[in-house]
Amino acid sequence: MALSSKRALPAKETALFKSLLQLYETRQYKKALKVADQILKKAPKHGETTSMKGLVLTNLNRKEEGIQLVKAGITLDIDSHICWHVFGIVHKADRNYEEALKCYLQALKFDKDNINILRDSAQLQVQLRQYEPLQETRLALLKLRPNVRLGWVGLTVAYHLNNKLSEARTVLQQYLKTVKGVPDYDFEFSELLTYYVTLTEETGDYADALQLLESYAKDRSIVDKSAILTIKARLLQKLGRSNEAAEAYDCLLVQSPESFEYYQGYFLAKGIDLENISDETRPKALELFQALSEALPKATSPRRLALDIASGDIFRSMAGAYLQTGLVRGVPSLFSDVKALYRDTNKQDVIGELVLHFSSRLAEYDPTTYVWSLYFLAQHHSHVSPTKPETALHFINTALEHTPTLPELYMIKARILKRCGDPIGASQTMEDARMLDFQDRFLNTKSAKYLLRDGLIEQANSVLGLFTKKDAPSPGADLEEMQSLLYLLEEGRAYRSVGKLSLALKRYRAVEKTFSDFEDDQYDFHSYCLRRHTLNAYHGLLRFEDTLRSHPAYVESALAAAEIYIRIYDGGAKVIGAATSQANEDKEAAPAAPVDDDPDGLKLLNAKKPLEEATKLVRPLEELLPLDIRVWTTSFDLALRRGKYLQAIRALRAIQNVRADDPELHYRVVLLKTSPASTSLSDRSRVVLAKALDGLTPPDVPLEELNTLFLQKNPGSAAAAFSYCRSLWVIKGQAVISDVEESLLQLARPEIQLSIEVALGALEFLQNVANSARSEEFRQAMVKRFPLSTVFKTESEKASIRTDLQAKPPPPEEPGHE
Amino acid sequence: MNIRLATAGDLLGMQACNLQNLPENYTLRYYLYHAMTWPSLSYVAEDSKGRVVGYILAKMEEDAAEKNEPPHGHVTSISVLRSYRRLGLAKKLMLLSQEAMATIYKAEYVSLHVRKSNRAAIGLYRDTLGFEVHGVEAKYYADGEDALAMRLSLKET
Ligand SMILES: CC(C)(COP(=O)(O)OP(=O)(O)OC[C@H]1O[C@@H](n2cnc3c(N)ncnc32)[C@H](O)[C@@H]1OP(=O)(O)O)[C@@H](O)C(=O)NCCC(=O)NCCS
Repeated sequence: MALSSKRALPAKETALFKSLLQLYETRQYKKALKVADQILKKAPKHGETTSMKGLVLTNLNRKEEGIQLVKAGITLDIDSHICWHVFGIVHKADRNYEEALKCYLQALKFDKDNINILRDSAQLQVQLRQYEPLQETRLALLKLRPNVRLGWVGLTVAYHLNNKLSEARTVLQQYLKTVKGVPDYDFEFSELLTYYVTLTEETGDYADALQLLESYAKDRSIVDKSAILTIKARLLQKLGRSNEAAEAYDCLLVQSPESFEYYQGYFLAKGIDLENISDETRPKALELFQALSEALPKATSPRRLALDIASGDIFRSMAGAYLQTGLVRGVPSLFSDVKALYRDTNKQDVIGELVLHFSSRLAEYDPTTYVWSLYFLAQHHSHVSPTKPETALHFINTALEHTPTLPELYMIKARILKRCGDPIGASQTMEDARMLDFQDRFLNTKSAKYLLRDGLIEQANSVLGLFTKKDAPSPGADLEEMQSLLYLLEEGRAYRSVGKLSLALKRYRAVEKTFSDFEDDQYDFHSYCLRRHTLNAYHGLLRFEDTLRSHPAYVESALAAAEIYIRIYDGGAKVIGAATSQANEDKEAAPAAPVDDDPDGLKLLNAKKPLEEATKLVRPLEELLPLDIRVWTTSFDLALRRGKYLQAIRALRAIQNVRADDPELHYRVVLLKTSPASTSLSDRSRVVLAKALDGLTPPDVPLEELNTLFLQKNPGSAAAAFSYCRSLWVIKGQAVISDVEESLLQLARPEIQLSIEVALGALEFLQNVANSARSEEFRQAMVKRFPLSTVFKTESEKASIRTDLQAKPPPPEEPGHE
Repeated sequence: MNIRLATAGDLLGMQACNLQNLPENYTLRYYLYHAMTWPSLSYVAEDSKGRVVGYILAKMEEDAAEKNEPPHGHVTSISVLRSYRRLGLAKKLMLLSQEAMATIYKAEYVSLHVRKSNRAAIGLYRDTLGFEVHGVEAKYYADGEDALAMRLSLKET
C-alpha cells in the first residue's frame, strides 16, 4: 500500500515507530511512551503515533487522556488501519465488544488481509454471537493461510455454530486428510477426532459416525475410552441396534454405576422409557433394576431409581428396605434423596407411615437409628405442612433431647423455624449447630446465612470472617472477589430487609458485575479451545454462556435491584434528597466509577435513570425465562412507569399465558386501566391500546365489577383477596378504606390458606399505602394466626425474645466426632 | 445421587459447593480452565433437582515434562456438601477421575495436598483409596497450616 504523505515518517522515526510497536507488544509501556514522544517531537501530527501513544497511556492508568489521543489519532489519519485497530483495542479493554468490532472492521477496510485484525474480529464475532460474519472472517483467514491448521479448525467451528453442519463436516474431513505423523496418545488430536464423530452424528449420518468412531477406536487415535463407549451406545441406539446398545450401556454402568444417563440409555435400549412408565412396562423395568442391583452391589442408583417407577405394595416393600438401610446407616441426606417421590402423594404417605412405624419400634433397642428416624420425620412433616410446624418441631425436639450433640439435628430445627417465620430462633439454632463443629465451613456458611436472614449483618460478617482470607480488607470483600453469589444475595436481602437500600443495591450490582465477568471469561477461550481442540467442551461453554443469566442468582438479584430502582423512582426527590429529576435525563451518564469510591452505595441511590438501569437488568430475562411470572410483573412495573404501554401489555399477556387467574396479573390490569397517563393519551394511541388490551379483560365490564368477579372466582385464596383489596384501593381510594380493612382482617380466618409472605405484604399495605388505623389490629391478628412466628412482633418484643434465647445455655460440649 | 462428568454448565454449582466447604476458593475462570483443558477429569454428584452436591476438580500436571517427572494427575479440589457426606460420593468421584487420568493421559500417579488436620479427607485418601504421604509442605495454606503432599500410584500392578 502506498503511504499517504502524512503517514510517511523520516527513516529514523520509521525505525522508532517499529520499536514503539514492539515495546507495546511486550508491555514495556513506560519506554513505549518515551519513544512515542520522541517521534511526536519530530512529527507532531503523526496520527498512528498519536494513537499508539494514547493506547500506551490507557495502560499506564491515564485512561481518559489516552482515549483523547486515540481519537485524535483517528482524526489525523482516518484511513489508517493502525489507528482503527488501536481504537478497537481500547474498546475491547472496556469490554465494549460491539464498538470494538466496528473499529476492527473499519481497520480491515484499509488492510483487508491483516491476519491479526481478522483473528481478533473472529473472536469478537463469536463473543457477540454473530455467526454469519464469523464464517466469512474464518473463510478469509483460511484462504490467506491455508497451511495453518487452526484456520481449518476455526472454519469448521464457524460453520458448525452457523448451523451449516455439512459444510463443517466437509472442511474438517479435508483437513484430517492432510494430517500426518500424529504421535501416539495425542490427547488433542483425539479430541478433534471425537469432535469429528459427534459433528457427523449431528448431521444425522449415524452410520457414518459409528464407522468413524469404530475405526478411530481401533487404531487408538481416540484415547478416551469412556467417551468412545458413550457415543457408541448412543449411536447404536439411534441406528436401532438396541441389543448392542444395551450391551454398551451395560459396560458403561459397570464403570460408572451412578450415572442416570446410562441407566436411561440402558432402559431405552431395552424398550423402556423410564420417564414414561406404564403398567405394561413396569414389571419388566423392576426386574431389570433387580438384576442391576445384584450386578452392581455397591451402587445405590438401581435401588433408588426403582422407587421412582414402583407402585402399590411393591413400592411399599422396596421403600421400606431402602429407608431402613438409610436410617440404620444414619444417612443425613435420606430425606432430600426421597423427597422427589413426594410428587406422588400416595408415596409421600407411605414413606411417612413407614418411618413412623420404624421409629416407634426402634426407641428401645437401636437409639441411633431411632434418632435418625425422628430427624427424618421432622423433615417429612415440615415439608408436608410448612406453616404448621408443631409436629415437625415435636419430632426434632425429641431427637435433640435424645442426642444434643449432633449438628444435623440443629440444622433441621433451624430450617423448620425459618419456614414458620421465626428468623430469630432459626439463627440462634443454626449458631448452636456451628458451635458443635467450628472446623466445618459448611456449618459456618449456613449459620452466617441464617444470621443475615435475621438481619444481624455485623455478626454474620464476623462469623464469615473465620474462613475468609485474613489479608482481605473484609470478609465480604474476599467473598465478593471469590464470586460468592450466595453471600452477595443474602447480604443484599438483609440490607433490604433492614431498610438500607443503598447497600442492598450495591450488593445486587455486585452480582450483576460478577455475571458480566462470567460472560467476559469466555473471551479467551474462543481461541484457546481451538488450539487445544477441546471443541465439544467449548460448545458446552457457549451454551452455558448463552443462558447464563437464567441462573437463579442473577434472576433474584436483577428483580430485587429493579424493585429498589422502582422505589427510588417512585420516592423521587422526597426520599433521596439529592436525586435528580427526570428532566436531566439527557445528560451523559458518568463513566462507571471504580468500586471503592461509593462504599455505601449512595451514588447508586442517586441513579439518574433508575428505570433504565432496572430495565437493562431485567430485559435479558424476558427471553431466557418467558414462563417466569416474577419477570413479567417486574417488566410491567417498569414499562408502566416509563409510559411504554404496549410493552406493559405484552408483559401482562405473557403472564396470562402462564396463569390467567394470577393475582398479580389482575392487580396490574387494574393498574394499567386506571393509569392516569394512559387516560391522557391521544385518541389514536388510546385506540391502539384498547385493542391491545382486548383479550386481557372483557371490554365492557366496569373495573369495579371486574374486581368483584375476580374475587368470586378465587374463593379461599389469600393472595387473590389481597390483590382484590389493592385493586379496589387503586380504583376508589380512601372511600373504600373500611371495606379494604375488613377484607384484609378476614384473612386471619383459619380456613383461609394464608402464607406469611402475603400476610406481611398486607400489613405493609395497610401501614404504608392505606395508612389504615386498623394496621395494629391486623398485626395482632397475625401474631395470633402465626403463633410461632416472630416477624409480626414489635421491635421490643423481638429484642426481648433475642435476649432470652441468648441467655439459654449453649449446646453441650463438642463431642469427640471422628 | 447422579454422578457424571462435569460440563461447563456445572461449574457455577461446583464453585458454590467449594465456597461452602473449603477455605481455598477460585474464580470461575480457573474452573473454566480445567474444564476446557482436561474435559474428562472433573466430575459432579447432583441431587434430584440437578443441584451440585459434590464435585472433583482435577487436572494433569502441566509442566511434568519440564520438571522431568512422569505424566501425573493432580486433584485441585474435592468436596461434598455436609448432608451428603459419608455416602461414598467422594470416593466414587475420585475413582472416576483417577481412571480417566490413567487411561486417557497415561498418568503414572495422582497427587494432592491436604491439611494435616483434615481427618475426614486423610481417611478417604489413605484408608479408602490407598494414597501415601509423599512429603510435608510446611505452611502451605494461607493460615499457616502444613499440607501433606499425598500420592497414589496409578500403574497397574
Ligand atoms: C473429605 C470429604 C470430601 C469426604 O467426602 P465423603 O463423600 O463424605 O467421603 P466418602 O463417603 O466417599 O468416604 C469414603 C471413606 O473416606 C473416609 N472418611 C470419610 N469421611 C470421614 C470422616 N469424617 N472421618 C473419618 N473417615 C472418613 C472413610 O474411610 C470413608 O469410608 P466409610 O464411609 O466406608 O467409612 C468431605 O468430608 C468434605 O467435603 N469435607 C470438606 C471439604 C474437604 O475437606 N475436602 C478435602 C480437601 S483436601
